[in-house]
Amino acid sequence: MEGINHFEVDSGLSHAHADASVTSAGVGTWAFDPATRSFEGSLTTHSLLGFPEGQEIVFETLLSRIRDEDARRLAEALEAAADLDVQIRVLRDGQQHWLRVRGGVVGTTDRLSGVILDIDRQKTVEEALRTREEHLRSILDTVPDAMIVIDETGVIQRFSRAAERMFGYTEQEAVGRNINLLMPEPDRTRHDDYLDRYRKTGERRIIGVGRIATGKRVDGSTFPIHLSVGEMNSAGRRYFTGFLRDLTEQQRTQANLQQLQSEIAHVSRLSAMGEMASALAHELNQPLAAISNYMKGSRRLLAASPDPNAATIKTALDKASEQAIRAGQIIRRLRDFVLRRESERRIESVGRLVEEAAALGLVGAREAGVLLRLHLDSASDLVVADRVQVQQVLVNLLRNAMEAMSESARRELTVASARVFDGMVEISVSDTGPGLPDTVLAKLFQPFFTTKEAGMGVGLSISRTIIEAHGGQMRAETNPTGGATFRFTLPAAA
Amino acid sequence: MASEALVYVVDDDDAMRDSLAFLLGAAGFTVHVFDSAPSFLAALPNGQSGCLVTDVRMPGMDGIELLKRVKHANPRLSVVIMTGHGDVPLAVEAMKLGALEFIEKPFEDERLVETIRAALTGAADAAHGEAATAQMTARIESLSPRERQVMQGLVEGLSNKAIARDYDISPRTVEVYRANLMTKMQAANLSELVRMAMRAGLLKD
Repeated sequence: MEGINHFEVDSGLSHAHADASVTSAGVGTWAFDPATRSFEGSLTTHSLLGFPEGQEIVFETLLSRIRDEDARRLAEALEAAADLDVQIRVLRDGQQHWLRVRGGVVGTTDRLSGVILDIDRQKTVEEALRTREEHLRSILDTVPDAMIVIDETGVIQRFSRAAERMFGYTEQEAVGRNINLLMPEPDRTRHDDYLDRYRKTGERRIIGVGRIATGKRVDGSTFPIHLSVGEMNSAGRRYFTGFLRDLTEQQRTQANLQQLQSEIAHVSRLSAMGEMASALAHELNQPLAAISNYMKGSRRLLAASPDPNAATIKTALDKASEQAIRAGQIIRRLRDFVLRRESERRIESVGRLVEEAAALGLVGAREAGVLLRLHLDSASDLVVADRVQVQQVLVNLLRNAMEAMSESARRELTVASARVFDGMVEISVSDTGPGLPDTVLAKLFQPFFTTKEAGMGVGLSISRTIIEAHGGQMRAETNPTGGATFRFTLPAAA
Repeated sequence: MASEALVYVVDDDDAMRDSLAFLLGAAGFTVHVFDSAPSFLAALPNGQSGCLVTDVRMPGMDGIELLKRVKHANPRLSVVIMTGHGDVPLAVEAMKLGALEFIEKPFEDERLVETIRAALTGAADAAHGEAATAQMTARIESLSPRERQVMQGLVEGLSNKAIARDYDISPRTVEVYRANLMTKMQAANLSELVRMAMRAGLLKD
């Protein structure tokens, strides 16, 4: 090819002579006179252009066999009577072929002369390359990760569609500028040094490893990204390709989850306090009421007594029973204060409540080999509930179920929902653990009753308090096939 | 006092049961005690009049269930429900099921004694009913329309917030109305308010 590029047509050389030296390479020669518009070609030229041997190549006929825009370019180039290099598509044997026409002015005449060669293969390769590149680009445009290519001095070479969306710059704006454009300080001023250091030491700090970094948008706002960098060498030059993922959404989800967890923990503590206060109130109310009753009874008996001290004793008894009543009220107020935070009841989806509770409650479930099945009745999905409180109940039941199955061979956890009587929706949590002995079943919901070594015994008691506050009921049973089922009801929203 | 007019106390707590028997005995009543709802039902003679004083929360059959059975088997028996911590839905349920009173422990002896006395002399429904109803109706009439709305919400078991939402006012305003209406109704607490509302016919199903 190199030789052909520098091919010079000697004016004194006959076509036949020149042709002999180039035919083998698929190269034809030609001559053109702009004044007469006569076109002469060698044998190879004839066959390349699709004219039978010996037939005169009429210029107009030739142009008609060339694709319109190519024909126009060729005609213009020839008529300009100057050096030319035109690629044309010719229709030959019903197929399109790529040819390259090169030429120049012969001597001091107006005539042009040159070569014509077959570039079909080159074009096919080019086409394939372009298709592959377009394919690659479309893939890169589709992946949610942004892709940015920089050279070894940090100048942006490629900037994918996702990168445009992520940073707010167009590819045109970004290409040619230093990558530190997309970084906040201190990376912004240091990035050139990072590249420099890598060039000198070859020490990889990020390449092939990936790390969390901060990106800066065109509007100056920053956001978390995960960045992985690859290195490549092309035509003796070094390039770096960065894949970037926007972590904003992921971090938000994580933050939400953490907030939900801390909310539940908070309510859990509050309820535990409320439950303890409630349990105390209940336990203390009985003796206090009994004390009050005994004293009031004594006072009544004393009313008929002639004893001179009777009046004083009566006063003392009155004061004592007032104090008993006061003590009861203090405890009741404490309970009301702690437990009766205004409950936030809204219309909630059972599916979502269960899903979120499972996300919180079943941490480690897969590792523990627990299989979760959901049988949720979509027709009765909506209930009126305080989301956090009911999730607390669900988390509690799910964790209990997981713990109950820790020694079991079969570990299946089923959460089901169904519409039951009186406009209520029942949610059940069943496990395949050892089930509940009758002795446990009787005391299950009592505060401070626990079968666990480290348990406080308030979980189920709180759960029942919550469900009852919703106007629902909660109970437990042993399954016929073993394992336990806890059921509770909530008012249906529709 | 008529000899057949008996007071029955049902409570699973020994001290509570014994002290009630002592108090009511000192007040002049003949008292029979039972440690559970089934043991009372087993001993209950048909057609017996009198007054049953029962705790709500008991293992096995609870006080509400006992109330239902007694009202079904023996409507002449008045029932007073005692609870350690009264909440509105429970009070409403008890009153709807026909309980004469719903009282929170510990309570003033005078109130319990008076209630039982009225029940036993048969004055309960008449005196307690008509005079009290007239009194309640008068008190309710003294309420402003907004106070009445808030009262209606409260006795239906709604939270301040829910009431505020229903009438599109702030929860703080609801608190003010609530305090005012409690004073006007002379109700010491919510379950007492529920009782009054029941009596005045504000809460019927």
